[in-house]
Amino acid sequence: MGWLPWSSSTPETPKSSDGGRIAPDRSSRERCYEGRDLFFSCLDKNDILDSVKNDKEARRKCGKEIAEFESVCSRAWVKYFKEKRVMEYNRDKTIEKLKKEDQEQVAQMKARGWSPR
Amino acid sequence: MASTRFISRTLGRVPKAPINRSLTTSATQHIPLLRASQSTSQTQTFNGISNRTFTTTPLLRKGNTMGKIKTQNFTGISWNATLLFILTAAGLMVYFRVEKERLQRKQIREMSKGVGKPKVGGPFVLRDLDGKEVTEEDLKGRYSFVYFGFTHCPDICPDELDKMAAIIDRVKEETKSDKVFQPVFITCDPARDTPEVLRAYLKEFHPAIMGLTGTYEQVKHVCKQYRVYFSTPKDIKPGEDYLVDHSIYFYLMDPDGDFVECIGRQDTPESATKVIMDHINDWKREGKPLKNY
Repeated sequence: MGWLPWSSSTPETPKSSDGGRIAPDRSSRERCYEGRDLFFSCLDKNDILDSVKNDKEARRKCGKEIAEFESVCSRAWVKYFKEKRVMEYNRDKTIEKLKKEDQEQVAQMKARGWSPR
Repeated sequence: MASTRFISRTLGRVPKAPINRSLTTSATQHIPLLRASQSTSQTQTFNGISNRTFTTTPLLRKGNTMGKIKTQNFTGISWNATLLFILTAAGLMVYFRVEKERLQRKQIREMSKGVGKPKVGGPFVLRDLDGKEVTEEDLKGRYSFVYFGFTHCPDICPDELDKMAAIIDRVKEETKSDKVFQPVFITCDPARDTPEVLRAYLKEFHPAIMGLTGTYEQVKHVCKQYRVYFSTPKDIKPGEDYLVDHSIYFYLMDPDGDFVECIGRQDTPESATKVIMDHINDWKREGKPLKNY
């Protein structure tokens, strides 16, 4: 889909008349988010977390979705969202782990006769 | 008594929680306690009276001696007194809390004033979207709300700018003016974000946002003044796509150009508006000048 100016087929973002680079507007941002969500739900279905590291597998199993994703988002955004997915997963895991540890500690302390205020 | 213990505890606490929470806790803490003692006495007194199975309202005990009547009347007075006491205590608590919050805001404000240079903010030279030079002096006289970002930002800046738009409308509604509060967007990516690009971008969020850009050196300088971290990747080929890392805070600056408070990702439009309005109202209450033109 080469009709989007910042799609992968044309790596340069369009220039404004005063020499700037035109940024995606609200509707193209929305399109990009939709493409991202479709691709990520396909990754979820196929149990792939890191589509940078497992690029080949992701492309094999979600070929259509990744092609769409890469055509509606700029290359920098694609990379950013792929990395963010892994980062958020790890963050949530860590929070979960800490919460669990916290609960266990509370349970232990309660067993020793401590009561929460 | 339970009530005194409760009051000393809440007064000692840092009053971050909303005011009405203290009132509801006071009510729920008292009533069940008193009800509990009442109902136990009832069951004791009327134990064995079988014709009152379907009601829980207490029977009016008829005082047949002066002593009993006196006790009855006395309990009545003590109920009123308790109620009065609770209301007075609650009233005082609300007052102290409001006052303490005001003083805390004042303290936050004064931290960046007085001795030496302000910690956040300061002189800068940038250009607005018409190419006109804008300095820190131009922002003085009203509250300004400064955000640093770049137009090619994938998801965080657009979210935050939508939030900014909501805040602008709320503050405008509450101050009944669109002059006392000036939202500002400073780009961290001047190479791509020229006035034309910024104008088209910001228009989609809110027309009131002032867009500022400048040379790379000017932008680097203003970011340093506001203690904003930002990094543009090195060795970018012309036209190549890239992202800029930057810190994501709104900076509330007072009409003297001094930093007041940060609004972050965790704030909602509601909570941010409250913070801003509290400061604006304090400023007005102290009778300090505020531009309204």
